Amino acid sequence: MTEVDFTQFEISEKGNKFEDFSEGQEFQHHWGRTITSGENGLFASTILAYTPIYTNNDYAKRHGYTGMVAHPLLVLCTVVGMSVEDLSEAGGPFLGVNDVNFHQPVYPGDTLYAKSTVISVRESASRPTHGIVTWKTQGRNQNDLLVIDYERTNLVSKRGSEAL
Amino acid sequence: MTTNSSLLTSSSNYFEDFKVGQKIHHSRGTTVGEFENQTITKMVMNTADGHYNEHRMKNTAYGKRLVFGLVTGSLVVGLTTQDTAENALAELKLDKLRFLSPVFHGDSLTAYTEVLEKRNPDQEDAGIIRFKHWGVNQDGTVVFEGEREVLIKRKSHWGNK
Repeated sequence: MTEVDFTQFEISEKGNKFEDFSEGQEFQHHWGRTITSGENGLFASTILAYTPIYTNNDYAKRHGYTGMVAHPLLVLCTVVGMSVEDLSEAGGPFLGVNDVNFHQPVYPGDTLYAKSTVISVRESASRPTHGIVTWKTQGRNQNDLLVIDYERTNLVSKRGSEAL
Repeated sequence: MTTNSSLLTSSSNYFEDFKVGQKIHHSRGTTVGEFENQTITKMVMNTADGHYNEHRMKNTAYGKRLVFGLVTGSLVVGLTTQDTAENALAELKLDKLRFLSPVFHGDSLTAYTEVLEKRNPDQEDAGIIRFKHWGVNQDGTVVFEGEREVLIKRKSHWGNK
């Protein structure tokens, strides 16, 4: 029997470091995601979001919607989630999210796509191993309508330093 | 139509009921377990394994998996929801979201809200309220804060519908 030497396997690296970002750079993030009725129900119940327009199809229709609306925080979490590998997986923690606008309702069955532009890249005064990067991210649906946009800022580690 | 909609939600949290400066301690808290963080982080395809690989995190300054900041933020907004947005027509905006201290599996969150502003757009049936929310852990440390604008039904229009 031969033993497998896993040290000879090349690691499939993911993500970007501080040096990989420059102002104006654009990312079309991977995959896209169809929001299902099941995950909307699971999300709304898990976060205790007792707003019937997100959990009661009949009630939502009585309030001007064509049906139950996907919870806006699920939309935000999903758009951020699809952007993580490109923007922050190898980099480090959130500093903040600003100016999150919900432009259109998202319904179960809609598909979300995410893209980002680098707004600013600067050094961190307190952590020389890291910098600070701000992105503007947009989430669009299958009809290319803007459903959400926001700005996100993270601490991003430089090459040779760990993200966390 | 079966049940009158106004019987399904409280009559005390329509647009007219909120007062600028009002401070609310939301009565229910929640522990952030593996269920909340693992389910939501993976469902939304957040690929950062610092949220779901316990043994890799042992070698970092944190020593264990971190709760995804937007899971914390979503739970804090969720804890405020019955009091702030049960009668919402739409969530309009979030702003100044700050993740002030790390959250780990097993921590418990309590939420607090202040009413910052009421706006009366030219909409007969609803108005906009701007809230500030805080999430505090079991040690009293503020772990999350953020502002939120919600379009809330007016009792004058919807109170008996």
